[in-house]
Amino acid sequence: MTRKQRRLTMIGGSLTVLAIAAALVLNAMRDSIVFFSTPTMAAEKQIPPGKRFRLGGLVQPGSLVRGDNLAVNFSVADGSATLPVSYKGILPDLFREGQGVIAEGTLDASGVFKADTVLAKHDETYMPKDVADALKKQGHWKDDYGAKPGAAAAAAPATGATR
Amino acid sequence: MTLWFVFALMTVAAIFAVLWPLSRGSSAQAGGSEAVVYRDQLAEIDRDVAAGLIGVSEAEAARVEIGRRLLAAAEGERDLPARSNLGLRRASAIGALVGLPIAAVTLYLSLGSPLLGDFPLAARTRTADANQPIDNMVAQVEAHLEKNPTDGRGWTVLAPVLARLGRYDDAVRAYRNAINYAGDGAERRSDLGEALAGAAGGVVTAEAKAEFERAVAQNADEPRANYFLGLAAEQDGRQANAAAIWRGMLAKAPADAPWRPLIEAALARVGGPAAPPLSSDAMAAAKDMNEDDRGTMIRGMVDRLATRLKQNGDDVEGWLRLMRAYMVMGERDKAASALTEARQAVASDAERLRQLNEGVKNLGLGG
Amino acid sequence: MIAEAGHYALVLALALALIQSTVPLLGARWGDHALMNVARSTALAQLLFVGASFAALTMLHVVSDFSVVNVFENSHSMKPLLYKITGVWGNHEGSMLLWVAILALFGGLVAAFGNNLPLSLRAHVLAVQGWIAAAFYLFILVTSNPFLRIASPPIEGRDLNPVLQDIGLAVHPPMLYLGYVGFSISFSFAVAALIEGRIDAAWARWVRPWTLVAWIFLTLGIAMGSYWAYYELGWGGWWFWDPVENASLMPWLAGTALLHSAVVMEKRNALKVWTILLSILTFSLSLLGTFLVRSGVLTSVHAFATDPSRGVFILLILCLFIGGSLLLYAWRASALKQGGLFAPISREGALVLNNLFLTTACATVFIGTLYPLALEVVTGEKISVGAPFFNLTFGPLFVPLMVAMPFAPLLAWKRGDLAGAAQRLMAAGIAALIAIAVLWAWTSGGATFAPLAIGLAVFVVAGALSDLAERTALFRAPLATAMARARGLPRATWGTAFAHAGVGIALIGIVCETTWNSEYIGSMKPNDVAKVAGYQLKLDGVTQRQGPNFREMIAQFTVSHDGETLQVMTPSKRNFTTRSSSTTEAALLTRGASQLYISLGDTNADGAIAVRIYHKPLVLLIWWGPVLMAFGGLLSLSDRRLRVGAPKPAKKSAKPARALQPAE
Repeated sequence: MTRKQRRLTMIGGSLTVLAIAAALVLNAMRDSIVFFSTPTMAAEKQIPPGKRFRLGGLVQPGSLVRGDNLAVNFSVADGSATLPVSYKGILPDLFREGQGVIAEGTLDASGVFKADTVLAKHDETYMPKDVADALKKQGHWKDDYGAKPGAAAAAAPATGATR
Repeated sequence: MTLWFVFALMTVAAIFAVLWPLSRGSSAQAGGSEAVVYRDQLAEIDRDVAAGLIGVSEAEAARVEIGRRLLAAAEGERDLPARSNLGLRRASAIGALVGLPIAAVTLYLSLGSPLLGDFPLAARTRTADANQPIDNMVAQVEAHLEKNPTDGRGWTVLAPVLARLGRYDDAVRAYRNAINYAGDGAERRSDLGEALAGAAGGVVTAEAKAEFERAVAQNADEPRANYFLGLAAEQDGRQANAAAIWRGMLAKAPADAPWRPLIEAALARVGGPAAPPLSSDAMAAAKDMNEDDRGTMIRGMVDRLATRLKQNGDDVEGWLRLMRAYMVMGERDKAASALTEARQAVASDAERLRQLNEGVKNLGLGG
Repeated sequence: MIAEAGHYALVLALALALIQSTVPLLGARWGDHALMNVARSTALAQLLFVGASFAALTMLHVVSDFSVVNVFENSHSMKPLLYKITGVWGNHEGSMLLWVAILALFGGLVAAFGNNLPLSLRAHVLAVQGWIAAAFYLFILVTSNPFLRIASPPIEGRDLNPVLQDIGLAVHPPMLYLGYVGFSISFSFAVAALIEGRIDAAWARWVRPWTLVAWIFLTLGIAMGSYWAYYELGWGGWWFWDPVENASLMPWLAGTALLHSAVVMEKRNALKVWTILLSILTFSLSLLGTFLVRSGVLTSVHAFATDPSRGVFILLILCLFIGGSLLLYAWRASALKQGGLFAPISREGALVLNNLFLTTACATVFIGTLYPLALEVVTGEKISVGAPFFNLTFGPLFVPLMVAMPFAPLLAWKRGDLAGAAQRLMAAGIAALIAIAVLWAWTSGGATFAPLAIGLAVFVVAGALSDLAERTALFRAPLATAMARARGLPRATWGTAFAHAGVGIALIGIVCETTWNSEYIGSMKPNDVAKVAGYQLKLDGVTQRQGPNFREMIAQFTVSHDGETLQVMTPSKRNFTTRSSSTTEAALLTRGASQLYISLGDTNADGAIAVRIYHKPLVLLIWWGPVLMAFGGLLSLSDRRLRVGAPKPAKKSAKPARALQPAE
């Protein structure tokens, strides 16, 4: 083979591999990309049941109900809309009512979000970025949001009432 | 002073690092060369051939290739004579001597705080830490309870301390143990519920609510449980239910109950009977508010009440509510001036004046 | 005084870096030896000052000096000493200081042990190191200064994020940084070669040990990070395709490609331009990794910096170095001379194939990591690209790579004999087929994919072994001869075999863990028994314990198998009062390479605890594989070929050269 032919073989081979890779990427992009949505966006876009998406927002205070055998129900709120979520399994360490959360799963026919993954990757000052952005966009963001929604107001009389 | 000495020493060391090679001039060793690598590659081929790892003909081809590289490298090295450029060396030396310290000190002074000494933990007075003794005591009690987990009295003592320290999760566990080993009771259930709410950041969770309901089941008049059940209703957005619960409490409560003003304030928050009705939007907004915003909202309602009373001063209940609200908000002066205004407004009506004076007695407004 | 001295040392290091990045270049331009030698002494002095600065910050953390903002925000007086020290790099400022300290360390190593380099090359390399260092010193001093003070020091610190209070964290970031930053040396060599306009086979030999060192640390760092996530995050997962993980995987893939293309260049003087490009790309990806993690653009548990000014600064550094080096590459690469020729079927050809697949795989990871960002910027839509995407793209690209892997070492340079290589791999192929058949029969047609994947892995491992057998003539010659030949084999050959086998072993672990993983999730009360994969786990009870800065709820499980009691496992849940957060401490029971894994969830009102129990067959192989790869790298590093080429002044450099070979 001449130098030119060798070079052509190499370039041809590379292009083949790249084409295969591009096909793989495009194929995977079509099937395995998950969109992020807040309850409001979910309502507006009318996401059909069975379509996977990520739901982000704040865990509605007081909405957490534990059922039998690790079944958990709670609502995710973004200030203007809420969406009930059901999940079975162990919630992450950082899961708290009133704090940011991201759940991944699908809507069922009755409009309940069946989550198979619940993420609460944040500490007391930090909220999942997607959630924070979405809340900011809707104007519901306050810097001490996650910290204590009305907690100080509620807790203060509690101690004063009896002591 | 030591600090500046250390700085000076470090600066001198840095300058020295630049000046030293400059002073040594070209006498410094000239570094390695490519030829060494290729000679080694040739030796390696010999080793490989000896070990039988490559064939003789392959080795010969490789030797030729490497030999070519060796020649090229030797040629390349020849046309790189060592020169010295005294002008540049002097410029670099001056740069290091003058520029380096000036740049370093300028930058440091704009960023650092050279006047601030060290504050290691050991040097600090431990007395300033007021929590320390309590923490120690708590740790002792906890250690004791670990060994004697059935000591109900111990848990009863420990639990409220934990709750006050903000260790709600531990307090929850302690209250549960207290209930298990020292007996159930409406008070303890309320305590547990309150700790649960504390752990949830003030939110009356379903779990907490269940405890309060258990407390009420044992003693329907347990005030704290009732208050929190009302709060739960309020947090759920059922303002009317909350108001009903609290109004029921006020109706049954003795007139001198210390928590009376509190409940009244809470009632004012959800909108008592005479307060202007809130739109459901405002209700929803109040739910998500933080403390400041809630305060502003309450203030708004109080101000509206005050305005209404100025126009029509016949409403004794309204006046009393206004004064209570001021007292709860800690504005005694305003409460006193409201009382003066109220007296003027109802002065013509003896019956109302009597009602007013009766009510004021309960407020503790002295006068 | 400690704080201020540390601060001033950092400023001095910046000043020295500025001198190091200019004076040697002038020296090289004018051929002045003294000016070129300035690079060496300034690099060493820089190392000294950054080292002092880092030591000062460590000291401040150890004595809990809360007048330093960084200590106040990330430490607590009650924290155990070990975590006071690891906390130094458990936060943004400290970790950046560690980053530059390691950068200075590598620069210092080149300065001290680079006697075998031509003077002007060394001057250029160190000058480029000086640029990088100066940029990062500025970044630290201006936007993330760890030595800022509080005039009236608080009584107590805010404590380190509890998730990060773990021994895994003590070693994971330094390892990773040693890898990331180690690639700066090959970057500097590449830029130096472009500036000099001259590159030869010798260049590859000089770069290779540095690339190997970086690669070894990065391999270990990634493996360690994965193991840390596995046992500390309590989900039992070991790889999440999290952007931060991808950020460390991308330089690894590019670095692995670089390692292989440098071999071709060293032996055959070919692929020169490509190797230069790979050096630039590898370090660019390391910088990108730093940017992604530090800027908070992509958020994850690692993101302790979410300050936009920092992000912009790092972005500038990124553009400057990546853009600048690529421009230089575009401008000068055509001037570099072409190298040796080779047929497509040859050792070179196989290594080109390896490079092709590795870089393509790297590109798919790159797309998967950055596509969501790009989409958000362009359309504002938020998406997440998760594991399925990577499994669908990365997986298929690795299959041909692994099929080809055993062939490469058996092919000759220049022109190879594929049929001959295939013949010599017959035994490995048969072993793979047997493995597939046995697994198929054993799982009775359960999973079709898993036996095939394990067969591939067996092929890779057996292929590595048959390469060794071939070279030592193990089954053809008497044992004594084979032993003698084995001793005479270059260490690099052993290294290749170990590293390749490591890939296969890791794959076995991955396939077994994902396919035959069994789990139990439920709530348990004392004396309840859970059954997982033939093990009985009885919950004996729950106790409380007070740790140094946390409270702990410990559950005790007695594990038995076939009625025989094995061991007691104690998973726990820790509550950190200061940060009012909790962590899950999983309990692990190792049986061979398999593990039982228990982590705890919440406690119910009735005293039952949520429990998650996994049985993970052969899971440890996932990490033994990379350890084996790193060991292979170490063997390769100790090869005499990488040592020589050194030292004309033999007595001076004999010692330093050996200092780089820990495997001896």
